[in-house]
Amino acid sequence: MAGKKRTSRQARHQAVTGWAFALPFFLLFIVVFMAPIAVSVYKAFYKLQAGGGLYGGGEPTNQFVGFQNFVDAASNPGFWTGMLHVIAFGAFQIPIMILGALALALLLDSFLIRRPGPWRLLFFLPYAVPGLIAAIMWGYMYIPEISPFAGNLPQLDGHPFFLAPSTILFSMANMTTWTFMGYNMLIFLAALQSIPHDLYEAARIDGATGWQITTKIKIPMVRGAALLAVLLSIIGTIQLFNEPTVLRSIATWIPADYTPMTLTYDTLYQLSGGHGPASATSILMALIAGVLAVVYFLAQRKVD
Amino acid sequence: MKKAMTKSVALLAVATLGLSACAGSGSDTTSPKAGESSPAMSEKASEPAKTGEKVEIQYIHRLPDGKDMTPVQKIVDKWNAEHPNIQVKPTKFDGKANELITKLQQDVQAGSAACLAQVGYGEVPELFVKGMFEDVTAEVEKYKEPFADGAVALMTVGGKAVGLPQDVGPLIYMYNTAEFEKLGIKAPTTLDEFKAAAAKAAAQGKYIAAFTPDEAGYWLSAQAAAAGAAWYKAENDQWVVAANDDKSKVVADFWQENLDKKQVLVTPRWNESFDKALTGGQLIGHFAAAWEVGFALDVLDGTPYEGQWRVAQLPDFGAGMKTGPDGGSGVAVMKGCKHKAEAMEFNAWFNTQIEDLATQGLVVATKQAPKNPEKWLRQFGKQDVQSELAKAATAMNPDFVYAPGFSSVVTPMVEAATKAGAGSAKVADIFTAAQDASVKTLKAAGLPVANG
Repeated sequence: MAGKKRTSRQARHQAVTGWAFALPFFLLFIVVFMAPIAVSVYKAFYKLQAGGGLYGGGEPTNQFVGFQNFVDAASNPGFWTGMLHVIAFGAFQIPIMILGALALALLLDSFLIRRPGPWRLLFFLPYAVPGLIAAIMWGYMYIPEISPFAGNLPQLDGHPFFLAPSTILFSMANMTTWTFMGYNMLIFLAALQSIPHDLYEAARIDGATGWQITTKIKIPMVRGAALLAVLLSIIGTIQLFNEPTVLRSIATWIPADYTPMTLTYDTLYQLSGGHGPASATSILMALIAGVLAVVYFLAQRKVD
Repeated sequence: MKKAMTKSVALLAVATLGLSACAGSGSDTTSPKAGESSPAMSEKASEPAKTGEKVEIQYIHRLPDGKDMTPVQKIVDKWNAEHPNIQVKPTKFDGKANELITKLQQDVQAGSAACLAQVGYGEVPELFVKGMFEDVTAEVEKYKEPFADGAVALMTVGGKAVGLPQDVGPLIYMYNTAEFEKLGIKAPTTLDEFKAAAAKAAAQGKYIAAFTPDEAGYWLSAQAAAAGAAWYKAENDQWVVAANDDKSKVVADFWQENLDKKQVLVTPRWNESFDKALTGGQLIGHFAAAWEVGFALDVLDGTPYEGQWRVAQLPDFGAGMKTGPDGGSGVAVMKGCKHKAEAMEFNAWFNTQIEDLATQGLVVATKQAPKNPEKWLRQFGKQDVQSELAKAATAMNPDFVYAPGFSSVVTPMVEAATKAGAGSAKVADIFTAAQDASVKTLKAAGLPVANG
């Protein structure tokens, strides 16, 4: 009896200590993560509406509109063409970036490179440049008048080479790839370095070449990392924002709803509606990104 | 190990999704509670400061504060020295007009907006609909005397005044007179004269105007106004939108012909290529907003072209030498301002410091015109530019007003204009885009529209 009581007191004590340690995390998690989502969901059911008269009276009111904001968001053709843009973007950008990152990681992990440290840092460096700065920097590379190379390229349909409707997705993809290739490389490299080296030794004794070790051991062993990298890339692609926003200032034909994220931002500053319609659009976008990620996850598991 | 990996992948994916859900609503925590009218909208009676109590007024502006200009801070310092109880703190906002609007919108919702802010005339009705202004009709009544009536009207929405006008931006034409003489052409006074002169210049590799798609919104609507158009009219308490009528068609046909014959330069106004065309001497004329006079030729200082340019009236677009508003702005009192009376007292004083404001390149909105700043005399060969601009200011089409939501109209116009400039669309499409976007925006906001 006495013993049992002591353990439970000890357990309670430990639990309190544990929670105390976890408290800062949970506080921040709730304040900066859960609360904004909750507010966003709540807001999505309201709409700021103008009053009567030609100028709406100047005193707009927030009204509960149920699911109307979601219906409006989903029935907006601009939202779906924006989705098509990011899907087209992802369909060729993600494979190029992931394969490139894998190649770089394999190279750094191989015996070809003696000192991977500086190279690892170098490949990762673009990721350390804030996304917007990188986008502005690339923007300057694309304007013929100030770019070191774009001036020598022909115009396409009257637009500068890198800023024409037929090339703009490639220009954006180039910016994204430059930024995130090193980041994804790091994911692969971490996975490669956690492979037990006994495996290589055993393979070598069995007479495997370096190439065989790479294709038969290393690549299959980083499947999990590839899954992670692709999932993160899919979600990142759906949220494509910096690149189109910066390029819009120099390629002024790009519409405000070119990607779902720029559409959301634009919606926030429309004449009417307040935060509700933009919240609904971003929630819809998150749901679609979630569905795509789950679909990919399940497909990948089936293949495995 | 593999299982642990996939599990963490799934977790991470879910976490990132959450992030995407809250993206785009970062400002939500500061906005009014849903279901009730926002605190920013509630009528907080502004209490006049008790005598002897010190009041601080924030004033946010986008004036250039450039070389050879009297800085805003220096003008305000004069006021502060004379008014120990009304201290004004000016802040320069380094960004585009619509970025300032974005900031103000956030600030008003957070209840921390500056008392006084510079807002474009085109944005005034829109911000009024959004509930971002204080009603200062009584104060404006007291201070409006020195200001041009048309400009005061632009700071008034549906009978409520929201601030005082600062500058006006009638479209004018500026050109390099020496180059014109060499080509044997004169500043065009009609569209036909313009087209003939443009053809003559283009044959020599010179352009007497640029088509600037990034400015299309205000720039082309101002030209439509010059042609006699009134895009937004109120009839029977409903908006009547006429952005692509015959008057606008005059403007569309004019530019289409010039573009088709490749006798105007196509370049964005706000990137390096425009200035490069100026300094390179290919661009020798420009349909400019009056406020461009203050800085557009700075790049020519020290070049052979310095002092060769002149300002003229816009060619006649068929409505008898009218012009239209391309920009211009006023200083409005923002919602939540606790010292409206003091803010307006400063507002009235500041916007009548016309000699100082003129150095900022402003075409002031007062009835009285200031002297020509030193720099203008140098850049425009001692021409009396101020009187030319004042003439343009009085020639503005008084029927052209903006409806709420004009910024949402500008965006599709710029998109269409970029395509028209590249040749993949027609100039007329710009005005169709304006018409459609106007009707759509007004309808979406629940404001009464007579069109379709």
